[in-house]
Amino acid sequence: MADQAGVLPGTLDLLILKAVSLGRLHGYGVLLRIEQISGGALQIQQGALYPALYRLEHQGLIASEWGTSDHNRKAKYYRLTTTGRRRLGEETASWNRLAEAIARSLAATPQEI
Amino acid sequence: MISGMIARGRSLWRGMRRRDAVELEMSEEFKLHEELRAEDHVRRGLSPAEARRQARLEFGSAERYKDEARHSRGLRRLDELRFSWLDFKLGFRMLARYPGLTLVGGLAMAFAIWVGASTFELATQIIRPSIPLPDGDRIVAIQNWDAAASRIEPHVLHDFESWRTELKSVRELGAYRALERNLITGEGRGEPVEVAEITPSSFKLTRVPPLMGRTLVEGDERPGSTPVVVIGHDVWQRRFAGDPDVVGRTVRLASSPVTIVGVMPAGFEFPVAQSFWVPLRLNVLEHPRREGPALRVFGRLAPGASMADAQAELTALGKRAAVDFRDTHEHLRPVVIPYAKSVVNVTGWRSVGVMSVNLPLVLLLILICGNVALLMFARAATRESEIVVRTALGAGRARIIMQLFTEALVLGSVAAVAGLAAAGAGIRWVMTIVEAEFLEGGRLPFWFQDQLSPATIAYAALLTVLGAVIAGVVPALKVTRAVGAQLRRATAGGGGLRFGGVWTAIIVAQVAVTVAFPAVAFFVRRDATQIENTDVGFATREFLSLRLEMDRDPPPGAPADTSRAAFAARFRTTYQELARRIAAEPGVTQIAFGDRLPLMYHPHRLVLLDDGGAAPIDQRWPAGYRITAASVAPDFFEAVNAPILSGRGFRASDHAVERGEPGSPDALGGPVIVNESFVRLVVGGRNPIGRRVRYVALEEWDGPLGADAKPGPWYEIVGTVRDLGTAVGADVGQAAGGDPKVAAVYHVVAPGGVYPAHMGIRVAGDPTAFGPRLRAIATATDPTLRLYNIRPLSDVMESELEFLDFWFRMLLLVSSIALILSLAGIYAVMAFTVARRTREIGVRIALGATPRSVLASIFRQPVQQVALGVLVGALFVVVLARSAMGWFSPREIVFIVSYAGAMMVVCLLACIVPTRRALSVEPTEALRSEG
Repeated sequence: MADQAGVLPGTLDLLILKAVSLGRLHGYGVLLRIEQISGGALQIQQGALYPALYRLEHQGLIASEWGTSDHNRKAKYYRLTTTGRRRLGEETASWNRLAEAIARSLAATPQEI
Repeated sequence: MISGMIARGRSLWRGMRRRDAVELEMSEEFKLHEELRAEDHVRRGLSPAEARRQARLEFGSAERYKDEARHSRGLRRLDELRFSWLDFKLGFRMLARYPGLTLVGGLAMAFAIWVGASTFELATQIIRPSIPLPDGDRIVAIQNWDAAASRIEPHVLHDFESWRTELKSVRELGAYRALERNLITGEGRGEPVEVAEITPSSFKLTRVPPLMGRTLVEGDERPGSTPVVVIGHDVWQRRFAGDPDVVGRTVRLASSPVTIVGVMPAGFEFPVAQSFWVPLRLNVLEHPRREGPALRVFGRLAPGASMADAQAELTALGKRAAVDFRDTHEHLRPVVIPYAKSVVNVTGWRSVGVMSVNLPLVLLLILICGNVALLMFARAATRESEIVVRTALGAGRARIIMQLFTEALVLGSVAAVAGLAAAGAGIRWVMTIVEAEFLEGGRLPFWFQDQLSPATIAYAALLTVLGAVIAGVVPALKVTRAVGAQLRRATAGGGGLRFGGVWTAIIVAQVAVTVAFPAVAFFVRRDATQIENTDVGFATREFLSLRLEMDRDPPPGAPADTSRAAFAARFRTTYQELARRIAAEPGVTQIAFGDRLPLMYHPHRLVLLDDGGAAPIDQRWPAGYRITAASVAPDFFEAVNAPILSGRGFRASDHAVERGEPGSPDALGGPVIVNESFVRLVVGGRNPIGRRVRYVALEEWDGPLGADAKPGPWYEIVGTVRDLGTAVGADVGQAAGGDPKVAAVYHVVAPGGVYPAHMGIRVAGDPTAFGPRLRAIATATDPTLRLYNIRPLSDVMESELEFLDFWFRMLLLVSSIALILSLAGIYAVMAFTVARRTREIGVRIALGATPRSVLASIFRQPVQQVALGVLVGALFVVVLARSAMGWFSPREIVFIVSYAGAMMVVCLLACIVPTRRALSVEPTEALRSEG
């Protein structure tokens, strides 16, 4: 297993939005999806996922509905809303800008000063 | 952003509404999550049991996440402030566990709510009367307002007829005249009753069917038809003993026989408070416009019509009448108002004034609940550990405050139920007091109900919530504030709570009230005792006093002269015949006649003395000398055993001339007799015989007559008598220095020469036994003679004494409650202090401190507070005594000081138990305890 990076609070929301954007998922599925797309590098504490899910639902970025899982069990599925999709785009762009800025700062060599 | 807010709102709403369903959903989701995780573990090779355990461990605390989930839904605030039925149950349990607090606090709050609800109900009934008849709020009254004279024109006979025929928006018009007539039943004794001479259509308007027989009908109005009367339920029970055959009986109203044709059901007293209804016979032809009987007109709004429509129609009619009948109707403007307002008109500023009576009672509630808050605070302080633990477990501050508020609300609700029950039961009693004191035996209009209206119950609920906020939230705020510090100190006990500034103020205020109110009660009692013990120098117990009135209408067969002079002459003749017959009765020794008798209320007037020496004028009434006045028959002083002290008495020739109302500008002068206080206070002790007085103003508060007004005539002083009780009751204590002796001036009238008049009959034996005989004699002399208030002269002050008694009892009640609250509060503070500082006491005793010094240090602050409260209360008493009694004698100062000392001792009684507890602290126990 790769190192369990501590996930910054704001980024958990971003990851959830991304995971859900790839397809409708229930809570456990979101967890697995995040592990999957990060290549195992990011692991979330199981229960802590749900407050974040509910918060995003409260803000209208994801929507939920009850359905049946592949094992015929009742499960609550989450999908991305239009607002959520827009927010995902904004946050991704902003994250990339931030990462780029930090990367450039960290790559500074003594000659550039 | 807007869509975000909308989404949040919708989610919040869903969370609020379907709370249980949301809870269930979350549980299901978590369960599924754990199951799937367990399955994954099984796939990796763990056993099912181990897999489940692992999954649960990894998940974490479901409860915590649920809580956080609710938080992220924005429901946290709501959760904390949510009203929980568990709290409610706990509240009731608290009531049982702390019976002392329940009893004391509950009693005090119940009292506050009782008083507040009763007053609010009365005030509402005065301002917003609701007529208890079918569709009562559509019954209206029509008045003719004289814009030139600024008063209501009562002679509306012609207008009534025209309104009756022409008005469309007001139907079923009726009119009535309120009379008082003697009711003479078989035994021949006449008793005055309230009669309404009323148009028969009025019964249709009220839509109340008779209990027995019939109501008045149109046929009864016709001249020549049999005189009939409908009687009320109350009278039927009292005067006719509920006789089932009363319909058809003949009685006499004054001199006319009438037949009873019906009985109205209980509670029916339309138009105001009448119990007899006779038909009103109106003949428009008999009188010119704006003359005739004085009527009150009422009607019912037609279906679909509003007051505004009616007013518009009336205004149009009024304008037409103003043009058509210019000389009489030019300034008359018809007005339509809700019916109740035509009798009790309290609007605008006056209604605000009436409602503002509730304000001091709200303050009373606040003060009482502040005190209960003190007790609740002390109780919460003993539960400090519980609160600290709950906070550590995650209870928010708002949650704990809600719990304490709910406990206070439970106490308040129980108290409110008790208070409302008392208010509902006591309303009738309060109304009786109001009638006796303010209406002088009259009756309140029939729409004053002795039930609590829904508005009052809502008001009481509001008061309860207010009280619960003060008694619950305020202490809770203080208790939870210190909890954070508690947690950091890692002990569950210890002194985080203190009795700070607010509580000191409450204790001081409470003790001050406890000291002050008994003093007020004392002064009320003193007033009452002074009234009871007033000695006017003759045996008032042996005199039977009564008020005489006579029907104004000339008797049938006599010349129809309704002028005042004719009536006065008729009254004089009738009275002289009455006096003659009474004097002929065995046992009657004296008859006193006058416009008022000793011990009754005498109006105050201002007079000026002629030139010559005089006493200095009392600066409170600088326009003249303040005196009381009465007009009496020449043999008055002899009848009341008051010999003439100097000069001469009144002679029969003195009243030979009609002199008019003494003091009015067109009166004639004449002889007057003055009392000893007059000699002392007005003439300054000099010889008053031959001096002359003149009235400045008829009422003490009028200014001097204007420069162009003719001054009144001079009256010559011809004799003096001793003081004869002309200023008893409300005036006692008003005179300088509390001396109830007031100057009096007596005018002379012929026997029967003043109206209405009072008679005092000295009779051997028990005077009340003479009452029935007196009524029979009066009825035989003239059935239109009405006798009121037949009672011994010594009982004349009775209604005022009853009122003072009422006040005295209320004040005693308030004082007792204040005392109980004070003692409870002081006890709570002391007990709390001792419990809090047990450890400190133990240490100090172990180190060798004497019990006295330990007590001194612990109790110094509470005792200071009590002392301050006693001081404030005593100051209030001083101010009160000064205004009631003037400057003090040393005896009174000693009395006040010893009273303050006594109250101090009483308050410190509450310290006995805590003191003993403090003294019995074993040092070793104390050190072991968490103090």
